[in-house]
Amino acid sequence: MKKMINIIWRHLLLIFLVIIWLFPIVWLVVTSFSSYKGVNTFNFFPEEWSIDNYVQLFTRPDTAANFPAWFKNSMIVGVCCCIISTTFVVMVAYAMSCMRFKSRKGIMSFAIIAGMFPGVLSMIAVYFVMKQFGLIDSLFGLVIVYSASSGLGYLICKGFFDTIPASLREAAKIEGASQLTTFVKVVLPLSRPILVYTVINSFLSPWMDFVMARLMIRSKDANDWTVAIGLYNLLDRNLINDYFSVFCAGGVIVAIPISILFVIMQKFYVEGVTGGAVKG
Amino acid sequence: MKAAMKKLLQGFKNFFADFGNAITKGDIWTRLSLIFMGAGYFGRKQYIKGIFMTVFEVLCIIAFVGFFLPYLLKFDTLGDVERVAVFDPVTMTDVVNDYDNSLLILLMGTMGIVFVIAFIFVYILNTRAVYRLQVTEEQGKHINTLAEDIRRFANDRFHITLLALPALGVILFTIVPLIFMVFVAFTNYDENHLAPSKLFTWVGLDNFISLFTTSATATFGYTFVRILAWTLIWAVVATFTTYIGGILLAKLINDKLTYGKRFWRTCFVITIAIPQFVTLLLIGKMFSNYGIINGLLADTGILEFLQSIGLVGEGLSYIPFLTKPGWAHIMIIIINIWIGVPYQMLVATGILMNIPSDQLESARIDGATNRQIFWKIIMPYYLFITGPSLITSFIGNINNFNVIYLLASSGGYVTTDMSMAASQAKEIDLLITWLFTLTNDYSNFKMASVIGIVVFIICAVFTLLTYTRMIAGDKEEEFQ
Repeated sequence: MKKMINIIWRHLLLIFLVIIWLFPIVWLVVTSFSSYKGVNTFNFFPEEWSIDNYVQLFTRPDTAANFPAWFKNSMIVGVCCCIISTTFVVMVAYAMSCMRFKSRKGIMSFAIIAGMFPGVLSMIAVYFVMKQFGLIDSLFGLVIVYSASSGLGYLICKGFFDTIPASLREAAKIEGASQLTTFVKVVLPLSRPILVYTVINSFLSPWMDFVMARLMIRSKDANDWTVAIGLYNLLDRNLINDYFSVFCAGGVIVAIPISILFVIMQKFYVEGVTGGAVKG
Repeated sequence: MKAAMKKLLQGFKNFFADFGNAITKGDIWTRLSLIFMGAGYFGRKQYIKGIFMTVFEVLCIIAFVGFFLPYLLKFDTLGDVERVAVFDPVTMTDVVNDYDNSLLILLMGTMGIVFVIAFIFVYILNTRAVYRLQVTEEQGKHINTLAEDIRRFANDRFHITLLALPALGVILFTIVPLIFMVFVAFTNYDENHLAPSKLFTWVGLDNFISLFTTSATATFGYTFVRILAWTLIWAVVATFTTYIGGILLAKLINDKLTYGKRFWRTCFVITIAIPQFVTLLLIGKMFSNYGIINGLLADTGILEFLQSIGLVGEGLSYIPFLTKPGWAHIMIIIINIWIGVPYQMLVATGILMNIPSDQLESARIDGATNRQIFWKIIMPYYLFITGPSLITSFIGNINNFNVIYLLASSGGYVTTDMSMAASQAKEIDLLITWLFTLTNDYSNFKMASVIGIVVFIICAVFTLLTYTRMIAGDKEEEFQ
């Protein structure tokens, strides 16, 4: 009986929390199907439903909203960053977690200190540097800016590598494997959850960030923008009354691929990994 | 901490002592490589390495003399020829004199300094390597062939292979910009001294002094204290609410009494999948003065009720969720819980699932209660793994630009405090958003840099205190 009450109580709590958490999301979705273009202030659900916002998004790009181009730009940047950052993070984490060399502690402290400077502070300097290299307004420049320093974010991944039993690596070493082989064949296959975490994180950061993009992409031409800059721009005071539901539609479209990615990869978070690896 | 400093100093000492040792005890080839970096390798018949190092040296010298030196020579004044454009009636164009660009001098000068330090480092390393080669030969041991040397980079020197590229990225896009910005804090680079048309120069500690002064004309001191306090409160509250919320939610979902774990988790994960700037701008609009929440509250009569108990002023036809200090501060923290908890829940789930199950089983066999298991086994393990991420998220919150900036801009926050407005700040600004506004909207680079340094000092103090306690101990191997 007591157990029954406990079960009911915790499910009610979950339902309550989910309602709170999904409230803005539902509003985003229903507004994206509204035929009224501005901000609807008094009704949660639109009075008239329509898919025109999506049609406009994909088939009628104008000078204010050129979604196909934005999506393509963000995709290119996201994929490139994802590859470079994940590689960097995993490489640094392996060196720091699984290898012992003289300057290791020193480099770790140094990385911590370097990571403590506010990113926005160096942003302005990065902007000056990129301007000298002529990489303003280019996707390549944006990729470099997002992924160049990604090695500093190795700590969480290192924390995971630390939990992989050292005996596994020693066993590999005794059998004559080099560090490279150990890294690729032993440690990486055991690190799927943290790899997934790193991949998702580094793919998402260019989609989520807009400050850096705004600083780096100065062009007034909507073709050069990323999704973040483009959508932010739609909420401009002069545009919001004609484009708010288009903005919502854009938000939904961006979220769909990322949500699918998340749901598929969720299981990696949940699999127990290190539990039985050494026993056999 | 003291021990770490001592170790660092010792390391430096050893580094240079080895160098001195190499010079005094080196033979002709080793000493020759002080001039030609490849010489030592030629002496031991490692020709390819020798050629490579010598070419490297020549390229470095060319780059230094041809590119960095002109800037470094003007580094002390940051240039003294101001840009003057004279209209030439013959060619009908403006003729610009050979002016100095202070910004370029500072930037390239900074790069030049880093370049020289890096070169000296490689140079000393090279001399040491050459000397070690000499010792190996004297002892009659086997000298590695090129192929063997390369193979070492996949084995005992694998860390160098792994770290080379990430380190280069960090140096170019984090270290150099940081040094550059630190330099800017000691100059008068602001809207009245915008390069390239105007010159700027060194002013010493003037900017730091003006950050702490409050007078009729300068309000930086007044603003700074208030924004600093809010930044700290925000960082502490935001970090702990999301961290604890994440663990509790993960526990709630992953308990064996909960059905449909995957479904619940998916519901929360959806909120992460929508980019933060979209949700933040959207929520900002929802809670703005004439947004949907205020509309619904007015419709349902809750607004009247709040007015009657005095929570909302009589004259207002809306609740100033994001437009009045106090209201805005609390709303921002609540919205941040909404943003941050699902993320922490996901991280917590991954880690809680990975707890070695044999430890839990043996504890259960020994008769530990659920509560004991949670506090004695799960939490220490959890803290060990998330310790670093807790520090990072605290630092991240001090620098949490997105939440504050986007909510303030889409909620329509306008400050009514004249002193704050005079130094271009708002009550809900963090140091970091203040810094951004100063640079992006007002080109006040000098004060922005000073604030940046202050932020760094705060972060540094907090991290070093906790970091040494949590990681620097030899706990690393405990769970391996």
